[in-house]
Amino acid sequence: MVATPSAGVEALHRLKLTEPLMYLTPSSELATAARIASEHLFASLKPYTPKSPFDRLLVDEKFDAEQIWQQIDLQSQPLISAIRRQVNKFEKDPQELKDIFKSGESDQEQKRELVLEGEKEEDSDEEDDELDDESNEEEDEDEDEMEEDESGDGEREHKERGGVGVEDKFLNIQEMKEFMEDDEAREYGVNKKKQVMKKITRKFGEDDEEEDDDEDDDDDDDELGVLELAGEEDMSDAEDARYEDFFTSTKKRDQSKKPKVSEKVEDIDISNEEETEDSDTGDEDNDGMGSDDEMKTDNLSTHEKQLLEQRAKIEEVERENLEAKSWTMQGEVNATKRPKNSALEVDLDWERNAKPPPVITEEVSQSIEELIMKRISEGHFDDVQKAPSLPSKAPREMKELDENQSKKGLGEIYADEYAQKTGLVSQALSFSDEQKKEASLLFKKLCLKLDALSHFHFTPKPVIEDMSIQTNVPALAMEEIAPLAVSDAAMLAPEEVFSGKGDIKEEAELTQEDRKRRRAHKKRKFKAENAKRIAKKPRENTETAADGNEES
Amino acid sequence: MMQSNKGATSMEVEEAVPSETKVVSKPNFKPLKAHEISDGQVQFRKISVPKHRYTPLKKAWMDIYTPIYDQMMVDIRMNVKTRNVELMTRRDTPDVSNLQKCADFVHAFMLGFDVIDAVALLRMDELYVDSFEIKDVKTLKGEHLSRAIGRLSGKGGKTKFAIENSTKTRIVIADTKIHILGSFANIKVARDSLCSLILGSPAGKVYSKLRAVTARLAERF
Repeated sequence: MVATPSAGVEALHRLKLTEPLMYLTPSSELATAARIASEHLFASLKPYTPKSPFDRLLVDEKFDAEQIWQQIDLQSQPLISAIRRQVNKFEKDPQELKDIFKSGESDQEQKRELVLEGEKEEDSDEEDDELDDESNEEEDEDEDEMEEDESGDGEREHKERGGVGVEDKFLNIQEMKEFMEDDEAREYGVNKKKQVMKKITRKFGEDDEEEDDDEDDDDDDDELGVLELAGEEDMSDAEDARYEDFFTSTKKRDQSKKPKVSEKVEDIDISNEEETEDSDTGDEDNDGMGSDDEMKTDNLSTHEKQLLEQRAKIEEVERENLEAKSWTMQGEVNATKRPKNSALEVDLDWERNAKPPPVITEEVSQSIEELIMKRISEGHFDDVQKAPSLPSKAPREMKELDENQSKKGLGEIYADEYAQKTGLVSQALSFSDEQKKEASLLFKKLCLKLDALSHFHFTPKPVIEDMSIQTNVPALAMEEIAPLAVSDAAMLAPEEVFSGKGDIKEEAELTQEDRKRRRAHKKRKFKAENAKRIAKKPRENTETAADGNEES
Repeated sequence: MMQSNKGATSMEVEEAVPSETKVVSKPNFKPLKAHEISDGQVQFRKISVPKHRYTPLKKAWMDIYTPIYDQMMVDIRMNVKTRNVELMTRRDTPDVSNLQKCADFVHAFMLGFDVIDAVALLRMDELYVDSFEIKDVKTLKGEHLSRAIGRLSGKGGKTKFAIENSTKTRIVIADTKIHILGSFANIKVARDSLCSLILGSPAGKVYSKLRAVTARLAERF
């Protein structure tokens, strides 16, 4: 049922007056009143929502609370975002607001209107709370912030048009100052700005301190400006500025505030910056910037940014390490192990150890042929020549195996053998043997003399076995004209010189056991000798018995 | 000597029993004659003649008969009916071993050795005859056996002669039986060579071994 606007307002008032406790029990009166009120509100807000699908709120009895709420939601969501956008825009550029609301109207009126709008939204919030309690807390918060910001904007408008001589339509000291503050806030962290805002809202009631802001003309020194703000916060004492105020991150100073607050403020800041950067562009999608990370990176210090970059790099590297390697990094890879045609894309380069095959040109073949012909004409070939081996010893005479049937009978053979052995028959050595022996003997003598003349190849004297008495005389005595290399191989052999009996070890080399052994041996020998002497002595003692006794 | 011994024993024994027996000299007996060994009975040897040696025996009969009858003093006769050569000692056979030597000599002839080779048995004591079969060394059948026999003798018998000459032995290869006549060590060498030939080594290898061995054997004397 379509209700008149007055009825709607009446219903609203009634709802406002009822006690909260009454809402707990379901009453049809209150329900109808609520429906009428919500319909009225919907209709009143309708002009501001051009895209709404509903002409009016359908609040018949048959409609469920959920359905009504959905309709309201459909209308209010875009409305809220639109209002937010508008507020941001006006915050940046209050002049526009003035133009819209005609310059004649006072600021108070403007404020009131804003407040009214805020109230309306509050009421609508209450309505929504009735129908569905939970999901409106966020919006509540949002509305509160909005109120604050709106009031802040209002405050800003106050400050405009300071009216100093330098200023004209291009240069506005106040604007410049604000810009500087924004920049500083971006550079050093959001809190500065927030604190400024907080301070500003606090001072909303106190108009005295507005002048302090106007006094600040020092825009060149950012730090001082910041200091100024900080100092205002701390009872205007610049010496209380601390390191944390300048160089700590947003998080540390954000503890008291709710995260949403920062978000909203940052939103506004960013939108402000954007407004100042691209001055006449339309509404930017500030709400579209849902990514908090981007907002945060803009407000970090350079060191923090570096840290972030490093961390990102580290993460990337770690991720790479955990993943499976690409085929190019896997060592020996067959065609089956890599994707098709992947070798074409990669720049392959490897060391080839083999020499590249020679390019046969006319000149190359010419040169080779010339070389061959020259060599042939000279007769200079690279044949392998066998090194001549010197015959060191005479070839052993090989007894030939007679393969014919022996003429002699076995008996005769044995008879001959026996005769030879016993010496009945004169041992007629074969002619060749005799001569061979003599020849070899002569040759050996000659070789010895020749080797002695040349000192390089030393050969000892040939061992001619014959029975002769050797005297262990030094070699020099034997030969006066002695070559350098002279052997005493003909002298006594070592075993002939020293048989191995007797004390081999020196006194110093003996171990304790060896000494004991030697001593024991000596004693034994002495005892044996004594025993022998005593055994001998009885024969002598038979003659001189008394003497023997005395002696022993 | 005996006296000194006696003296020693008398020293050990307190009361020496007075030896009544006189010192007896060791009896010195003359060697027994062949007859006397068996108490006057005659010693007998019989050697059968294989078919293939019948004709050679007939041909070489005198060469066999003469050294046996004249030098060994052993009676010999051929029993044609039983195809045996019989040997008997006479009264003046000097030594018992003569009969045995003659028997060995005849037996060697029957195995296939030549008379001139077998006569060495009569002359020297240390000669023996060693026989073995091819199948003792390696079991060969059919063609393998024939080839082995061929390997043993060689072309024209040259391998056999080579072994004979180098080791101073005589070898008879009768089908699958092999007989070697010679001194003990030489028989051994010859047998080793023959066995290696049977087992399949080529003749050249056997020759080289023979050469080494014979050189060693020759050096000893």
